[in-house]
Amino acid sequence: MQRRLRFLLAAIPFGALSVAVPFVNFVEPRILGLPFLLAWIAFWVIVTPAFIWVLGRSEGHW
Amino acid sequence: MNSPIALAIVAIIVLGTVVFAVASVRRFTMTPQEYIVGGRGFGAVFLWVLLAGEIYTSFTFLGAAGWTYTFGAPAFYIMAYGTCGYIFYYFLFPWIWRMGKQHGLLTLPDLIQVRYQSRMLSTLVAIIAVVALIPYITLQLSALQIFLTVAGGGAIDPVAGACVAFLIIIAFVFVTGLRGTAWASIIKDALVIGALLFVGLAIPLQFFGSPATLFDQVLRAHPEHLTLGPLTAPKGSLWYVSTVLLTGLGFFSGPQSIGAIFSAKDENVLRRNAMLLPIYQLIMLLIFFAGFSALLIVPGLKGPAADQSFLAVVSRYYPPWVLGFVTGTGALCALVPSTALLLSSASVVAKNIAGDLFKIGTDDTGRLRVTRIMVVALGLLSLGLWLAYRTTLVDLLLLTYNGISQFMPAYLFGAYWKRTTTAGVTAGIVVGIVLALSLAGTGTAPFGINPGFIGLTANVLVLVGVSRLTQATQTPAPEPELE
Repeated sequence: MQRRLRFLLAAIPFGALSVAVPFVNFVEPRILGLPFLLAWIAFWVIVTPAFIWVLGRSEGHW
Repeated sequence: MNSPIALAIVAIIVLGTVVFAVASVRRFTMTPQEYIVGGRGFGAVFLWVLLAGEIYTSFTFLGAAGWTYTFGAPAFYIMAYGTCGYIFYYFLFPWIWRMGKQHGLLTLPDLIQVRYQSRMLSTLVAIIAVVALIPYITLQLSALQIFLTVAGGGAIDPVAGACVAFLIIIAFVFVTGLRGTAWASIIKDALVIGALLFVGLAIPLQFFGSPATLFDQVLRAHPEHLTLGPLTAPKGSLWYVSTVLLTGLGFFSGPQSIGAIFSAKDENVLRRNAMLLPIYQLIMLLIFFAGFSALLIVPGLKGPAADQSFLAVVSRYYPPWVLGFVTGTGALCALVPSTALLLSSASVVAKNIAGDLFKIGTDDTGRLRVTRIMVVALGLLSLGLWLAYRTTLVDLLLLTYNGISQFMPAYLFGAYWKRTTTAGVTAGIVVGIVLALSLAGTGTAPFGINPGFIGLTANVLVLVGVSRLTQATQTPAPEPELE
């Protein structure tokens, strides 16, 4: 996989949890009862391992 | 009346963990490599347990619950920054580990020394690292005092209790080294998950029916608690972004983290941990639930009492054995990370100051002995400082929080930019720390931006600028290849 694409795999969850957060700073819509902001952060924490798995896979580490 | 039960459970948890860990490491012959970096033999699962054990301290939990209670949404940064840290260090772990393996490194200043070939720089880093870690150890002692106060209910003197527990911990580190911390972490991590499922799930279910109803009620009573403040407000959006960036990028830059990285069996063990540790981050969600529940059940607490709000709920509404279980787990969260902090600061003093600078204990036997002496010396020093200056030490934590992250550019640029120079790194660290501390010390946060992040930005700019103007550092040993 291209270097740029691999960088994106890391940058997407990293950015979603940091610089993107001010743009999702609201309560509605609630997801499974959680305020949207908290649900957003929890979602990205949950999917981060998948991103890193694909990254490691593309570099041939597993 | 009930307190003996809770206290007895705390004592059983702490002593049981110590005995279990000591028994588990008995069969290893000690060398400095074995004692400080676990013989570089830790597999993915064992390292995961160790990292979870040393990263999630009592103040992760007390602080996160307290912040949730007092501020609400700003506390969410704690769940985000660790995950950002794991993503970022996926790219740095392999370089740090390879340097350690190729050159037989033991400590953070060793890494700096090999890459930048400057005794002055590595000594500076050694001193900053130790001075930053000691207040962090004393912070754990304060947490221990809180847990013992709640568990004892006045039956024992919590300060004396904390002293006894910490003396046991000094002896424990003296005997076991890093492997002991890892074994103790097995029990600690398991108990943490159990205790958090209780305070973060059972309590909300019992009082509110479901997390959703919990948030309905928070929304009604404290609507501003579920989002960040305006862009430039204190603990507003800019504060959030800058804090996540600072703490995420600095996540593994401390000496205890570098020691843990060196303990991995191979670099893929570290990549796997970068992938799997975010899952452990999810337990922070339970802490937020606990903090919000406490806000509704026992409202109106301020300051340190807010940090202990969920303990107040447990001690008011649940039987003493539950309280003993929760506070005993809390005590382990103070003690187990303390073992890692104590070991890494002792190894830095023994290797980089006593050994490299004063040529004391430079063979294996001597180094092991000096490291163990330093464990006792720094342990007693921390205990003494805590007893004498408990309140003023909190100010020193500014150095812990803002200073340690400033080492990160030395690794990042050291790994990926061949033109990085010793002068650049030295100037960057000095400017970064001085700027961060002077802003933080005066309570200045322009536009709500975290002072440590301003320091880190200046650090990087200075590093790049000065490196361009100076002669590149000759690293004599072959540098590990990076694609």
